[in-house]
Amino acid sequence: MSCSKRYIELMHKYLDHEILKDEEDELKQHLMQCKSCQSHFHELKRTEALLESPSHVQAPDDFVQQVMNKLPREKKSVSYRK
Amino acid sequence: METIIKQKIRQVKKGDQSAFEDIVNFYQNKVIQICYRMLGNLHEAEDIAQEAFVRAYTNIHSFDEKRKFSTWLYRIATNLSIDRIRKKKPDYYLDAEVKGTEGLTMYSQLSMDEPLPEEKVESMELNDYIQKQILSLPEKYRSVISLRYVDDLSLQEISEALEMPMGTVKTRIHRGREALRKKLRDL
Repeated sequence: MSCSKRYIELMHKYLDHEILKDEEDELKQHLMQCKSCQSHFHELKRTEALLESPSHVQAPDDFVQQVMNKLPREKKSVSYRK
Repeated sequence: METIIKQKIRQVKKGDQSAFEDIVNFYQNKVIQICYRMLGNLHEAEDIAQEAFVRAYTNIHSFDEKRKFSTWLYRIATNLSIDRIRKKKPDYYLDAEVKGTEGLTMYSQLSMDEPLPEEKVESMELNDYIQKQILSLPEKYRSVISLRYVDDLSLQEISEALEMPMGTVKTRIHRGREALRKKLRDL
């Protein structure tokens, strides 16, 4: 737990694609020696994978049509609003 | 893709409503997924997603073409979702921050971190389970996490979409991700 704060920060930077080259080297170096950070990193990457897994949620077939039906009529005239 | 979308937007701005159909077609799944991540209810997600597109259409003239259209559209969708969450707030709900704690919710008090009995995990759809864990986060983490993972937005894009300083986006993603790590590690 003690060494991790800085390295956990680097892990998140890595996951957000914001890590610099030498920070990445530093992180890799550390991960090779530290079991607890290694498993933390592993869990984070797994969480990422779970969150990125394609969603089963899809638009229903008539979604586009429903939206189109809700749009205000094609402007025949410009409407003035206060 | 962005160039085709930009072209369509120009047509819509000129009054060609049918060009908007292609825009809806292209973004519908992403928008519904973002709303679903935030609301956890498919019916509501579709409802809000529809409204988001209608708003995008009626406000298309305020869209600045130098910006990314998806970010602008997602902002409308997340704002509407947040409004919906706040409106339906029941008197008592598990998501509420426990007074005097920073980000602690009733869920955490119910020790959601405890691994679920095996048979329960098996019977539950993995996706539903993940969704449930996202819903147990306070809404401020939910929106950044939704945008980060549904469409792989960068921190910069999320910051633009939510009009939130980069530092805040970063902190919320990190905290949200850490919270989810704990909730999902026993899967």
